[in-house]
Amino acid sequence: MLWYNAWLETRWRFLIGLALLLCSVVATVLLYPQLLKLIPLAPTNGSGELAQKIRESVELLRQYRGYVWSKWFGDNLLKMATLFAILLGTGGVLSGRAAMFTLSMPISRSRLLGIRAATGLAELFILVFIPSLFIPLLSPAIRQSYGVGTVLIHSACVFVVAAAFFGMTLLLSTIFSDVWRPLLIALAIAVVIGIHDEIFYRQPYTVFRVMSGESYFRGGQMPWGGLLLSAIVSAVMYYGAVAKLARRDF
Amino acid sequence: MAERLIVEAADLRKTYDGVEALRGLNLQVPAGSICGFLGRNGAGKTTTIKILLGMARPTSGIARVFGLAPDSPKTSVEIRRRTGFVSEEKELYGYMTVEELIRFTAAFFPQWRADLQQRYLRNFDLPPNRKAKLLSRGMRTKLALLLALCRGAELLLLDEPTSGLDPAMADEILQVLVAHVADGETTVFFSSHQIAEIEQIADRVAIIDRGRAVLSGALDELRANFRRIQLVFDGDAPKTSFRSAGVERVQRSGRVLTVFSSKGAEQIIEEARAMNPVSVDAGPVSLKEIFLETVTAEE
Repeated sequence: MLWYNAWLETRWRFLIGLALLLCSVVATVLLYPQLLKLIPLAPTNGSGELAQKIRESVELLRQYRGYVWSKWFGDNLLKMATLFAILLGTGGVLSGRAAMFTLSMPISRSRLLGIRAATGLAELFILVFIPSLFIPLLSPAIRQSYGVGTVLIHSACVFVVAAAFFGMTLLLSTIFSDVWRPLLIALAIAVVIGIHDEIFYRQPYTVFRVMSGESYFRGGQMPWGGLLLSAIVSAVMYYGAVAKLARRDF
Repeated sequence: MAERLIVEAADLRKTYDGVEALRGLNLQVPAGSICGFLGRNGAGKTTTIKILLGMARPTSGIARVFGLAPDSPKTSVEIRRRTGFVSEEKELYGYMTVEELIRFTAAFFPQWRADLQQRYLRNFDLPPNRKAKLLSRGMRTKLALLLALCRGAELLLLDEPTSGLDPAMADEILQVLVAHVADGETTVFFSSHQIAEIEQIADRVAIIDRGRAVLSGALDELRANFRRIQLVFDGDAPKTSFRSAGVERVQRSGRVLTVFSSKGAEQIIEEARAMNPVSVDAGPVSLKEIFLETVTAEE
């Protein structure tokens, strides 16, 4: 029943996320032919860093594989997964008005948190993988193809890093008793990381580069170091949340 | 034979951000009793109940429920398995229907009383398909009580169970409690600042003030022991102090000297007669007077 309760508490966030991501993936795939027609209009002759970036982007878009990676795994899914990882991590296990009722049940706080975390991660997993799997499914409709294996690898990268954002928000939710502070702090941290990644975009292992699986896209190399670090961060955040919740007074 | 204690607290202290909520609380609730936990708002009643259920950890001191420590995660789960609880706010999962909440709660308690569930659903007239957030406060209280009573619990911890209810509904809730306890071996520990409802259903009382138990015991014994002794003199009442034990307070007002005693009224009366008053009159006191006297004495 705790699983059911965790599902009821998070279902709207999850369902809204799923609907948005499904719409987004369908649009991403079906708009590719229109985008191809616009590519010749792109200004690629200039000099300087901006022109260089434009040329790189245009080159990516010329190939369907590059387009899917840059628009979906490197942009839409990456941003939405980060956002919904944070949203699913908020609300905490015992931050609602019915916390006293939950706490009166014969169940340990660590188990409560474990079930809440597992439910959130399962929802996040579905949010990342299911819409992404629509890419190989829809691609034939625009006379393109995309490998399921590639989808799974990129989705796994997105999921592992998004899980760290989820863990961070879960920890913040056990520290603060309200919903808004964990949400705003986690979003602020994500924005700061995003700005950092934009500024230092030449560095090979920024957070969102690992998340998009860029090294796999460009050279077939999995970003194992980044993924391992993200998994460790997730685990530390989770155990931090368990420890904090165990000590917390209600 | 010594009474089996279901709830015990010794020198229990709790500090929140430098504010002392409990300041050395001592408490004993014997098995099978209905113990009213009486105190003013902010006296420490809710904090005590939270500590007994493991929702808050004591700063120092000892708390035991069924002889188990509520501040240990493992034994705290065992305590909650054997305890029914109703919080002051009666907040439930608003997104669940009455039926879902019953199913949710029943899943945690192997000794769930399906017979009582049916009875209370009928008696309380609870709509099974209505979401908890759409229930009135009275209905929510009834549902919270149903969820606590049907657990097959040995102990009911009720935090202000009738707060916010009209007198008729409060009375209905109290009657249900009495009937429920009469059916079995349940111990009830309920907090309240309503003296009348404690007098109505409790057989024991513990009065808490500013984080300390200032008085506790069987209600009948307290009523039997506490006395107001009034001495009337010819002239102004003398300024005097009593040697006898049990004198809680002495009040002078013109020709009248009022002694409030907690025990040994006969000895006090004997001592008073030596002062040659015109008249000596000893009478019983109500729980309200006992409460006010003990709380005022603390001030």
